[in-house]
Order: sequence, then C-alpha cells, then structure tokens
Amino acid sequence: MLGKGGKRKFDEHEDGLEGKVVSPTDGPSKVSYTLQRQTIFNISLMKLYNHRPLTEPSLQKTVLINNMLRRIQEELKQEGSLRPMFVAASQPADPLSDNFREAQPAFSHLASPPLLPADFVSTMPLESCLTPASLLEDDTFCTSPAVQHDGPTKPPPPALQPVKDSFSSALDEIEELCPAPTSAEGVAAESAADDSKAQPSESNIHKPEGLPESRTAESKLMDPLPGNFEITASTGFLTDLTLDDILFADIDTSMYDFDPCTSATGAASKMAPVSADELLKTLAPYSSQPVTPNQPFKMDLTELDHIMEVLVGS
Amino acid sequence: FLGAGGGNDIQWCFSQVKGAVDDDVAEADIISTVEFNHSGELLATGDKGGRVVIFQQEQENKTQSHSRGEYNVYSTFQSHEPEFDYLKSLEIEEKINKIRWLPQKNAAQFLLSTNDKTIKLWKISERDKRPEGYNLKEEDGRYRDPTTVTTLRVPVFRPMDLMVEASPRRIFANAHTYHINSISINSDYETYLSADDLRINLWHLEITDRSFNIVDIKPANMEELTEVITAAEFHPNSCSTFVYSSSKGTIRLCDMRASALCDRHSKLFEEPEDPSNRSFFSEIISSISDVKFSHSGRYMMTRDYLSVKIWDLNMENRPVETYQVHEYLRSKLCSLYENDCIFDKFECCWNGSDRQVESLSLCTSDLSNIVMTGSYNNFFRMFDRNTKRDITLEASRENNKPRTVLKPRKVCASGKRKKDEISVDSLDFNKKILHTAWHPKENIIAVATTNNLYIFQDKMN
Repeated sequence: MLGKGGKRKFDEHEDGLEGKVVSPTDGPSKVSYTLQRQTIFNISLMKLYNHRPLTEPSLQKTVLINNMLRRIQEELKQEGSLRPMFVAASQPADPLSDNFREAQPAFSHLASPPLLPADFVSTMPLESCLTPASLLEDDTFCTSPAVQHDGPTKPPPPALQPVKDSFSSALDEIEELCPAPTSAEGVAAESAADDSKAQPSESNIHKPEGLPESRTAESKLMDPLPGNFEITASTGFLTDLTLDDILFADIDTSMYDFDPCTSATGAASKMAPVSADELLKTLAPYSSQPVTPNQPFKMDLTELDHIMEVLVGS
Repeated sequence: FLGAGGGNDIQWCFSQVKGAVDDDVAEADIISTVEFNHSGELLATGDKGGRVVIFQQEQENKTQSHSRGEYNVYSTFQSHEPEFDYLKSLEIEEKINKIRWLPQKNAAQFLLSTNDKTIKLWKISERDKRPEGYNLKEEDGRYRDPTTVTTLRVPVFRPMDLMVEASPRRIFANAHTYHINSISINSDYETYLSADDLRINLWHLEITDRSFNIVDIKPANMEELTEVITAAEFHPNSCSTFVYSSSKGTIRLCDMRASALCDRHSKLFEEPEDPSNRSFFSEIISSISDVKFSHSGRYMMTRDYLSVKIWDLNMENRPVETYQVHEYLRSKLCSLYENDCIFDKFECCWNGSDRQVESLSLCTSDLSNIVMTGSYNNFFRMFDRNTKRDITLEASRENNKPRTVLKPRKVCASGKRKKDEISVDSLDFNKKILHTAWHPKENIIAVATTNNLYIFQDKMN
C-alpha cells in the first residue's frame, strides 16, 4: 500500500485534545464522539467494499473491520434511536453540508431535550461537525463510552442504516466507486454494495416483510463479490442492503401517513401530533421509534430528510 | 545503550546496504521477509516478486580484526510464481511471506519458503568441481562420433568457478484455504507447522501429499467469525508444544500430545484491557503480528501495533514486561486506520545468544535480553530487558560510512520540538520497517526497509 500515509501536518490547537477522555455525556464532546464513530463506521464500510479485485483481501483485515462495524452497530442499537446518525460522507462535504443545513431547521423545531443533537448542532460550526475523515487532521477523541456493550456472539439484526446521500450524488458515488468489474456479477455486486451504502433509505422504508426478502437476497449480494470468501457473508449483518431492495423496491410512503403519537413510547414522545408535512420537518418519529420484533429497521433522522429531498426533487 | 552507558552497551554501526538506490520502488522488490540461518553465515530475504536472495558472509579476515565479514550475494532464485485461482477468479500472490532455515546436516543448505498458499523446501548446494574427460562427449557437450573413439579414459573432477544452485526438493501445496502467515520448524527437525488465518497444519518434511490439521478455528457459520490466527511458532525445545496468536491479542499454547486436534489450548495468555486506554481501535491494535520464543523457551515475545510484550510461559494473565514502540501514535489511530497503516504487521526478534550480550544480563540468566522491532520513518527500536534502556535508530543511506556509530533518534510527541528531534507529523508512514533479524551468534543485525536491506554491526574495539 504505497502511496498512502503521507506526511501529515500538525494542528497546534488540537494539542490539548489529544488523549482526552471523552465521556458520552459531555456536551460538544458527545457530538465529537458520535461524529468519530460515524466517521469510523463509514471508513470501515469503504474498506470492506473497496478492496482490490485482483487478489483476495486479507481475512484478518476484513474480520477486524467487521468487528469494528458490529461494535458500532451494537453501541448504536444500545443507545436506541435517541440520537440521529450524523452523516459524514467519505467524500468531501458538498451534498453533505447541504443535507445538514436542511436538517438544521428541523432540529430547531424539536422541543424535547432528549434529542440532544439539536442543541449541539446549533452551537457547533458546521465545518467542525462534518469534516470528512480524509480531512481530519488529528484524532481528538479516542475513547468509547464508559459502558461498552460487548459484541454479541451473533450479529444482531441491522439496527441502523449508514451513509445517506441524495439520489444523484449517490449515483455519482456508485460510478466513482465501481472499478472496472471482472465480471458482470462483479458489477452487480459492487453496485449493490455501493448502492447499499448510498440508498439505505430505500431499503429502510421497505416494509418489515422486506426482511425475509433481504435475507434470501443476501447471498445474491455476497456471492458475486470478487475476492469473496465465506467471510464476506459475515457482512450479512448489513443484510438488508441488497441490490433488489435498493434498486427495485418501491419507495414506501406509508411512513408519511404515520402518526407518531400513536406509537408507544411514553416520555420521549413529546411531539405534538403532526400532519404529514410537519412530520417531515420535525422528524418526530425519531423520538418515538417503536422497536418491534418485526421491524428491524429504525428510521433515521436524516434519512427522512433524504426521502423528502428525493420526493421534493431537491 | 543510549550511548551514555558503560562499555557493555552495544554501539551499532552501519555496515552495508543492499538494494536499489532510487526512491522509485518497484513493487516486486519490496522485501517481505528476512532470516539468518542457524550459523549466521547465510542471510536470506524474500520479496514481493517471489524471489529469494541469499547473502553469504565472507570468511573473517584474520588481519582485519576490526570488522566482520561482509555479506555478498550468494544465490538468487525465483521461489514462487504468481498463480491464478480459477475457482475464485483471483490471483495468488507470489510474495514470500516467510523463510525458515533448516539446520545444516550436510554440505547443502535447506530452507522453507512460503507464499499465501504453497510451501516449498529448497536445497541450496554448491558446485565447485565438474567432471571432465568424457569419452563420448566433447567438453562443450556435443556428442562424439563413437567410431572416432580410439582410447578410453576415466573422467576426472576438475575445479570450476563456484556455482550455487537452488532446486525445489519438496512442494507442500493444497493444504491451506486461507493465507499462510507462519511456518515454524519443530525442534525434532523432521516436522514443521504452517498456519493460515483459521487453521494450522503439521507436516513431515519428507511427505508432501499429506498434512495433519492440528488447529481449526473456523466457525461452522462464517458469519460468526470474529478472530483469526495471526502467527504460530513451535517451542524451541519441546517438540510437542507450540503457540499461536490471534487478532484479539491472545496467545494460546497447545500441546500436541493432548489430542490430535488442538482446539483446546493448554494455556491462554491474555492481558486484560486497560480501561483508560480504551478506544474504537483497541481491538485492532491488540492484534498480534508476531510471536517469538526466547532461546531458552521460558519466555515468548509478542508484537502488537504499539508495543512489544514479554510473557513468562508460567504466567498467563499478563505479560512480565511491556515495551512501548511508538506510543505517540496512539492519538493518531483514526488516521492510521483510514490509511491502513494500523494493519501493518511488524515483526520482532530477540538478540542472538551471544556471549558478549550475555555479559549484560544481571537479573536474568536467560540469554534473550534484547528485543528489536521496527517502526515508521525507517526507524527501528531496541529494548534492553536488563538495563530497561531503549534506543531508536534509523536505517538510512545517510549513515553510509562503515564503522560510524549510528546516532540515536528521537520522536517528539507533542509540544516543543528539540533540535534533532522529529515531530510525529513529519514521520513518513510509507517508510516502514516490518522485518528485522539478528545474527544468531554475533551482534550483527539485518534491517529491511521497503526495498533495501541494511546490515549493522556493533562497533568492535
């Protein structure tokens, strides 16, 4: 891997943050922690799907990256859907910051304190929250929360969807990320992988019955990947992200008819009843996300946003 | 050791450098393994292009008592070729992952070399005589017309220019589904083990069509795989004992007498995680990249991303010593994860069992008292277990003069950089020293940068 790991410049002002223990309950640090976690999650996904097609990827590396992803997923699952996932695209900022800016007004509508990001977001400059990984100068945060849930022996059902992008930028990503395929299947698989990163909103909106479908389709995703050994099946914890689900699934708009107040959550549900329009702005379902056994997908704050953009045609 | 010590400290001097001078590195020239043979007379390197280059030490010149023999190319051969796995539509790299020498039993030398899938036993022999005076053949090999033969003579051996030949004597193939990371020759000198990510196999050196699986950690459901084997080695004295390390920072010691399949370890070495150092990358940096027994077999050394740990085989719950190789990288782990450097597999080695080194040992009678390992920016580090001192040296062509003592280097982690110090952010992460080797008997070390091999010796007074 020559060519990577060039010299890096040292940011003087970051000096004091090195090695600082970051507790998840700290104010801006929590955002930093979440941001780093998201960044690492994205980097990990990129690594899994971006390997050289010529030789088999290192199993050790794949396993370690998988473990990283699982751990983050577990953590997110444990935290529940109390906080939205920040979207830090692996590519530099533009579509991202747009999305973020659009999300911001939504955040400000949120009255309920548990939805922490609104507070942090409004106090932090956009750039520092959304610096893509490749531009991160230093690791100013390096610890996980005090209570870390140990990874389960079985991969949990996928709790949250990763990278979100608007439709067009996602398609661009796919084109960029897809190297010349070694086989037609390779193309399909890689597109699926890239798509899956970019279009989880599609599969997310997919009804719960999408789950069995995606399970059977999982092998479709995994098998044609060049350099596939059995281990790639382990990325099946991202099992819902399949070619079929993403490219061919209809966008499920039933969510927009969903009245968040009727879902059972109790204290977190401080939102006023909303119409479909308000729903999109307030992202209310977020706080009142029911976790039912047959609904493995959890709606993401920004995900709804993206859906809206797609529909509105932004 | 840091130059300020007494006469017992080793002062390292540049001796030689092998390899291309220019900065443009051909991928095939990247050195992937370095290994001295049991006498130290031969030094083998393997590269990414599947070649093995063996250097031989010149016989010591008795008049030149102030330097040891130089290493010169003795033999070069293509050990492995790239292959294509048609089933998976993938290339099998010809890169030599490991070389291990067999102890010398006769005039010829034998070594095992392996790529990801196939292990080969090579015989390296010298030819310095050839028969001359055949009756039916001319000197150039053409056949003579038998009718022209009027007298008969007996062919005799005459000296010729030394020719070193390497020939593959055994090919141990098709036993590994995953990538071979280690080979280790047993102390019985008849068997050896080969380890890949999930399995360890036992071979007999004479038998190529059969190997016995002694460790298998492949789960029934590959989705449950969270840990792989990263290195394995036989105990230097006990021929039924071996260890293997994992990507989760554990080492398992197994006894082959316990059962045919050593899935249940006899001992499990693992250090509990330090909660204050916990991060997203804790698991990755705990992955062990190398494991080496000490000469006596009482201790073993492991290398993970940031440190070297010495374990007493009698104590499983924590290492007896830990040495930080480049702790200043701890705050850079996210970047190092992004650029893949965090997956670099550094090796480590013990000093040779040398009487001069032995004289340093104060509190331990074990001959293994110095450990050496590589880092970035072409730096490599040594730790003296007795004095607890350590030193950082650089393999660079700038220190080209033989018998010039190498200047210790220092990395400045933060704050004001002193003169001659290098700041962390100036480190070149492309210049990594992954492979080092120590002469088994003398204070001579071989240090591989990306495509160059440096040889350093201690300053002889």
